[in-house]
Amino acid sequence: MTIRIESASHYFQPIENGAALPDLDSTLAGLCRENFRRIDRFIQLALLGSARCAGECSLQTECGIYLGSGLGPIGNNVVTQEQLIRDREIPKPFNFINTLGSSAGYYVARNLGLRGQNFFISRRGASMEAALSSAIADLEAGIIDQALVGAVEEVTLPLAEHRKRQGLPDEVEVAEGSHWLLLQLEGKAGGQLQIKRFTDYATLERDLISSWRTGDVLRCGIDIDAGFASALYHALPDSYVADPKHAFHDSLSAAWLTEFITGDGVGNLFLVNGDEVRGWTLFHCTA
Amino acid sequence: MQGICIRGMSVCCALGEDIGRAVDLMRDMQVPSTALQLDEFSEPVRMMYYRMPDHAELSDPARIEQLLTQVVLAAVARAEMNQAEIRQLPVFTGSSCFSIGVSESRYASTLETDPEHAVPMPLCGYQDISDIARRALGSSGDTYTYNTACTSSANALLSAIRMLRLGWYRHALVIGAELFNLTTLTGFSGLQLVDDAVRPFDAARRGIVLGEGISAVVLSTQSGDSNLEILGGASNCDTSSVTTANPDGVSVAAVIQQALKNTGTDPEQIRGIKAHGTATPSGDTAEAAGLRRVFATVPPISVLKPYLGHTLGACGVNELVLFASALQCGFLPATPGFETPDPELGVHPLKASQPAQRGRYLLNHFGFGGNNTVLVVEKTA
Repeated sequence: MTIRIESASHYFQPIENGAALPDLDSTLAGLCRENFRRIDRFIQLALLGSARCAGECSLQTECGIYLGSGLGPIGNNVVTQEQLIRDREIPKPFNFINTLGSSAGYYVARNLGLRGQNFFISRRGASMEAALSSAIADLEAGIIDQALVGAVEEVTLPLAEHRKRQGLPDEVEVAEGSHWLLLQLEGKAGGQLQIKRFTDYATLERDLISSWRTGDVLRCGIDIDAGFASALYHALPDSYVADPKHAFHDSLSAAWLTEFITGDGVGNLFLVNGDEVRGWTLFHCTA
Repeated sequence: MQGICIRGMSVCCALGEDIGRAVDLMRDMQVPSTALQLDEFSEPVRMMYYRMPDHAELSDPARIEQLLTQVVLAAVARAEMNQAEIRQLPVFTGSSCFSIGVSESRYASTLETDPEHAVPMPLCGYQDISDIARRALGSSGDTYTYNTACTSSANALLSAIRMLRLGWYRHALVIGAELFNLTTLTGFSGLQLVDDAVRPFDAARRGIVLGEGISAVVLSTQSGDSNLEILGGASNCDTSSVTTANPDGVSVAAVIQQALKNTGTDPEQIRGIKAHGTATPSGDTAEAAGLRRVFATVPPISVLKPYLGHTLGACGVNELVLFASALQCGFLPATPGFETPDPELGVHPLKASQPAQRGRYLLNHFGFGGNNTVLVVEKTA
């Protein structure tokens, strides 16, 4: 089944050593219906990306929200744990409530006037894939007609602690991001998204070769081992392009998707993930 | 509508780790909560708590792996799957705490031994529960981890059912997990939402009693020996407040009506309801108002939180396992703690258990973030 991409938004902000996190307050003031108080940076990022994606689109009130994240509201969790363990203080009510990943989805729904299902989904470095799969399943099943799917990743300061928490070497540049797609079964927009599932590698490779055109982009998800990734790049002519200089966050696959759709590129993006045991998932995206 | 079969299930909660014994305790209306006191904070935290029956220290970071492994292996063993099926088994997890307790322990330990290098939130553990399950089973199936407050594992069930029905998977493991952690206990204490006993829908209700529990179910498109099927359900978001559904019951009624519609069920077909029944003043008010909007005569109601406490994100699977087990044994559990009806609610949970008929049952779940989720199950024999 092919899903229409009605709209997309791409916010990707590398954070340099010693720099402060960019102020989001003024940007949000122009994007939010209300002046939300007691929200944290993770919620701000979710509001920013979702509001930009929704833009002038006509949203159904039952539009589902699927928010993926590897780290979730890590900044607020850090503050809460410091208060609790280091300072022996009871968490403040809104710090406690905002430790939940789903609080961000609540504010997104409130800002956009949505009342449909609202899921926070994580799969570490493949959280966008998990959120997209869940949304596409609900679209295919006819549970919803429209889905707002996003991935949000937050950076905490100091960066040395942020890197240590994620097991990253000191030299790795890190980024925060908010990447969103508005999907629906029928639509007039140009983009398309298709999910295909394969039980064996040979069938996946044949399908990719038959679809592949010069200028298309291939990206391999985090679960693919190097051997299979290399085989795919060899099977598809001119498919290996070194990753653009991307700073790291857990949902880079979401960044690839929204960067591709919001960019001026043509052709197709193929995002592959999986292994021999559970099979393979292919997201095929046309800008 | 094609039902999804429960092939195997297992639970570890305050009622124990033996489902048969847990059912007996519910039949006898046993309420196994204990007093808990945490003195290390600026304000003392005292509350009743429903703990799992192991003998380890509550804050022992090894508990999560030990208890989860035990529960997952038991559920999968009961499902009688072959090795190939187990290796491909997708894992759907719902939790509101994940491994935050382990993270707290590690941070506290490093603060003592090496404070200069102590990093708060050393573990960001959304994936940890799925990873433990996959390690225990030798599985490398897909994982989906849901964090939607108290509806987390109900939403995990809902998504698993939909993907099974689409043919994406033949079987799915769905886990609910809530373990002792300081963030949750102190957080709810700070919100002043805790009471010394669970009194669902009672005139004297004042709040929740927290509990811990881990459970797992193996769902399958292939029918098994079980006389209980999950038909599906619905989920929505009420944006009136981040902490509770609107007391007018409109969003609660909407999600119940959508669940009934999605499963091709008329309100008159509902034989009983497992209510969410947190026993908070506003939560029960919203749930009761929603039920009255949908049902001309509200079907018999059971609330399970008096038996295992509020296990938050895990309550979807924990309470499904206990409720399904009671239905299979032929009864709707009574609700200890409900004594004096609240005239403003018009909802009266069962004071004594009653026989469970064949037919359809509703399972309600509501959570912070305005998240409402309702499941419909059918007792087929």
